[in-house]
Amino acid sequence: MATTLGGSPTRLSFSSSSVLHTLSHKIPFPVVLLQRPFSSPASSVSRAIRLPNSRLSGDPGLRRSFFVRSGLQSGPEETASQTYDFDLFTIGAGSGGVRASRFAANYGASVAVCELPFSTISSETAGGVGGTCVLRGCVPKKLLVYSSKYSHDFDESRGFGWNHEAEPKHDWSTLMANKNAELQRLTGIYKNILKNANVKLIEGRGKIVDPHTIDVDGKIYSARHILIAVGGRPFILDIPGKEYAIDSDIALDLPSKPEKIAIVGGGYIAVEFAGIFNGLKSDVHMFIRQQKVLRGFDEEVRDFVTEQMSLRGIEFHSEETPQAILKSVDGTLSLKTNKGTFDGFSHVMFATGRRPNTKNLGLEEVGVKLSKNGAIVVDEYSQTSVDSIWAIGDVTDRVNLTPVALMEGGAFAKTVFNSEPTKPDYRAVPSAVFSQPPMGQVGLTEEQATEEYGDIDVFTANFRPLKATLSGLPDRVFMKIIACANTNRVLGVHMCGDDAPEIVQGVAIAVKAGLTKADFDATIGIHPTAAEEFVTMRSPTRKIRKPSSPLDEDKTSSDVKSAAKV
Amino acid sequence: MSRKMLIDGEGGHPADEEQYDFDLFVIGAGSGGVRASRTSAGYGAKVAICELPFHPISSEVIGGVGGTCVIRGCVPKKILVYGASFRGEFEDAKNFGWELNDEVGFNWKKLLHNKTQEIVRLNGIYKRLLTNAGVTMLEGEGKVVDPHVVEVTQPDGSKKQYKARHILIATGSRAQRVNIPGKELAITSDEALSLEELPKHVVILGGGYIAVEFASIWRGMGATVDLFYRKELPLRGFDGEMRAVVARNLEGRGIRLHPGTNLSELTKTEEGIRVLTDKGDALTADVVLFATGRSPNTKRLNLEAVGVETDRAGAIKVDEYSRTNVPSIWAVGDVTNRMNLTPVALMEGTCFSKTVFGGQPTKPDYGHIPCAVFSIPPLSVVGLSEEEAVEQGKNDVLVFTSTFTPMKNTISGRQEKTIMKLVVDSETDKVLGASMCGPDAPEIMQGIAVALKCGATKAQLDSTVGIHPSAAEEFVTMRSLTRRVTAGGKPKTNL
Repeated sequence: MATTLGGSPTRLSFSSSSVLHTLSHKIPFPVVLLQRPFSSPASSVSRAIRLPNSRLSGDPGLRRSFFVRSGLQSGPEETASQTYDFDLFTIGAGSGGVRASRFAANYGASVAVCELPFSTISSETAGGVGGTCVLRGCVPKKLLVYSSKYSHDFDESRGFGWNHEAEPKHDWSTLMANKNAELQRLTGIYKNILKNANVKLIEGRGKIVDPHTIDVDGKIYSARHILIAVGGRPFILDIPGKEYAIDSDIALDLPSKPEKIAIVGGGYIAVEFAGIFNGLKSDVHMFIRQQKVLRGFDEEVRDFVTEQMSLRGIEFHSEETPQAILKSVDGTLSLKTNKGTFDGFSHVMFATGRRPNTKNLGLEEVGVKLSKNGAIVVDEYSQTSVDSIWAIGDVTDRVNLTPVALMEGGAFAKTVFNSEPTKPDYRAVPSAVFSQPPMGQVGLTEEQATEEYGDIDVFTANFRPLKATLSGLPDRVFMKIIACANTNRVLGVHMCGDDAPEIVQGVAIAVKAGLTKADFDATIGIHPTAAEEFVTMRSPTRKIRKPSSPLDEDKTSSDVKSAAKV
Repeated sequence: MSRKMLIDGEGGHPADEEQYDFDLFVIGAGSGGVRASRTSAGYGAKVAICELPFHPISSEVIGGVGGTCVIRGCVPKKILVYGASFRGEFEDAKNFGWELNDEVGFNWKKLLHNKTQEIVRLNGIYKRLLTNAGVTMLEGEGKVVDPHVVEVTQPDGSKKQYKARHILIATGSRAQRVNIPGKELAITSDEALSLEELPKHVVILGGGYIAVEFASIWRGMGATVDLFYRKELPLRGFDGEMRAVVARNLEGRGIRLHPGTNLSELTKTEEGIRVLTDKGDALTADVVLFATGRSPNTKRLNLEAVGVETDRAGAIKVDEYSRTNVPSIWAVGDVTNRMNLTPVALMEGTCFSKTVFGGQPTKPDYGHIPCAVFSIPPLSVVGLSEEEAVEQGKNDVLVFTSTFTPMKNTISGRQEKTIMKLVVDSETDKVLGASMCGPDAPEIMQGIAVALKCGATKAQLDSTVGIHPSAAEEFVTMRSLTRRVTAGGKPKTNL
């Protein structure tokens, strides 16, 4: 049977499981929308999983008795056994697809995964093992964030006695070369992970022919189960001159650094790229349709991050709807909005959302239901309307984050190949925005908490971190804990400031475990850190109670942070 | 007095006629003293606090509001660590495309000046905190004259006595020197934080966190650093595996380690200070730092006269409520040598106030106290080390470790790995301890500490979704067991 990839040499040099650390996963997104999807524990049992066909055949060597069953289903309803090439055929080797394939193989399934040829810029015909996260998302984005943040480090260092004779210059091509070498290395590691898990990797474009058949560039494979994990791609607004615009794929792999860039959009991608190019000393203008960036995030944090970004030199144009991009004779671009025309851009970037990659997959033909925006509709177990076809990750447009795709992939493999029906748990999924300064959050925003719980206590801190007192820069940190007034349970935690994503991870464990504000208070601080603020927020900034409007209580002096709060 | 004092200085109720100047007199305005004063005043007590005049370098007669943490400890130390970290950042920046001179200029005097300015600012903030809380501030050296009387020797030499229902001693501790010939040539961490000139070559004696932190600071600022300690590894008391990682990282950053070696003599020469080791080697440095422990500041408090018991190290003995053997005298913070950390002194101060003035007898809880060592890169831990878990545990101990190249280093090329570790009880699934050595470890560990404090299980960590890409997410994705150590068995690391 057909093909493996035309393997590029892979330097396999990871020392522990934690390569995956640098690899796996993906992009942050406001995770705010989906708390507490499951109400009654009974529901998890009462719903049967519809089973395609019989027992696994697969590799004789791997044969075990697999029953994909669900709680109430009694006895296998499998029909006469049928032979398939694979127990599982996964389309798309990004975070979710690789995880699901690997885990399914570990449970003994024979698995193949197909993926498009490698390219840093995705298209109908280009992709690459590793997917968005590794090649066009989390990883390259974070590398660029690292690079761009140095200019801020240089500024900070002056207050600490360091002096640079000349303003340090940045060489974009060095960064691109080193970044691309790293991406090559990572895609190689991913391939090895698949290989070591005995997953067959097939290079090419997969298309579904019928509920058990996949066509990869003319070669036909049969599978008991098909998993679609093809992810999403940037969406470009349909306005005149859109061909002049770049998207995030291209922005991560530009031949030269933009001199002056217009970024259209106010989501996390827009905000992150604004920080990147601003740090690399481009002239950055953000055009957002709303009044504020980062819709869906906590309002106070939205205001705070906008202010901090402005202080670092990013110019915001709010409530501006882009209408056209014009190219002038000198080659520069102009952006026409409902309010006017802005000239002189070397680049115009659209960070105007992403869409599921569901075109030309043969989905409509086999009867897989899609939502209006093209996402595959799945149930709580990631099963589509066709019993043998499943989908996970961004293509289902649930919570578009790498760790969530991983969770969905893991749950899928357990459900289908380990006889353990498992629903992904979307409660208290933390996320980060790698803006500068970055944000981390878990649980509900103040607005959501107010709506859901009515009575909440809000604890905030807004302080100048110790580093800024020496650097003299206007950097500040904002932190917030939202607790239920009746149960004292922590409903949400938000932070914007240095290390926020790192800090919030541990806090997320506590929030997920349902801990109370008192539990936070009982924890001793690590001094001197920014994070200790989360365990030393003694009095609520405001108490919100259902009937009355929020009343501001005690606004404590916030400048004392750099000392222990004695 | 209208307030209800739940715990009285004397066994019985003091006659209301008895006149005290203050309900509480605190000696020492460091972290613990300020917190206790402020919270006691918050409960309605009439409080005074005395503190020595301000100076960065402490002595019998010099101190300053803010205490060790603010003036000679956590804060200035962290400022210098920030300053020193930039060197590594500049090195790392190159592969990220930045063109920097090989030698970026560093002006120590400027850093020192800015640091002192910040310390002075914080000193002012602390004074304001006290004033705003209605606490009477007195400058001078406090001595206990009898169970209810404190005598303050003011800077001009005049003495004044104050009567107080309760006395709280929160005088902290001071760096201590080892007794070798030429010891007066060495400095302690106090002076190290305020050196006039940046040293070119430093010798550090000690393997504790202070020694390790200063080694990182000076190395980051460009000095040659020789670190001498008696054990095989620095940071005794921490997880063995972590100690080894810290040692490797220090070495990787260019610090010369001399394990199992002590200093035997210091002599002044033309070139600097000649340092002789107990192995017979000699080297010359311009600065020698003794980071050889700290001792409680109890000598000049007149404690013996009033009968307050101290231990052999000079620490004040207290019960679980921070009360000394003299019922009206209490003590918190480093002077009691329990767990010498600022947040612990704060906790003890709060518990004291609650107990004495808040009507809620409260013991400080010493379980799961996280802490950090601000080496470069830093170490942070909470709960038990692997060795402690094995020793204390009834059940087998599951050890999960992860060693990885942080994403930043994949581009910078820095050969430094981050290591994380979870120690889990095999029966209860409870996470007994967590540790990490790598960038941002102290910031990362704080949230983990909240979870551990509340008895989080490994399953709860596993069920938490990661934040990608972060280093911290590794703590919630450590799926495969590194080793299982049988109850009472020996850990595999033989340190």
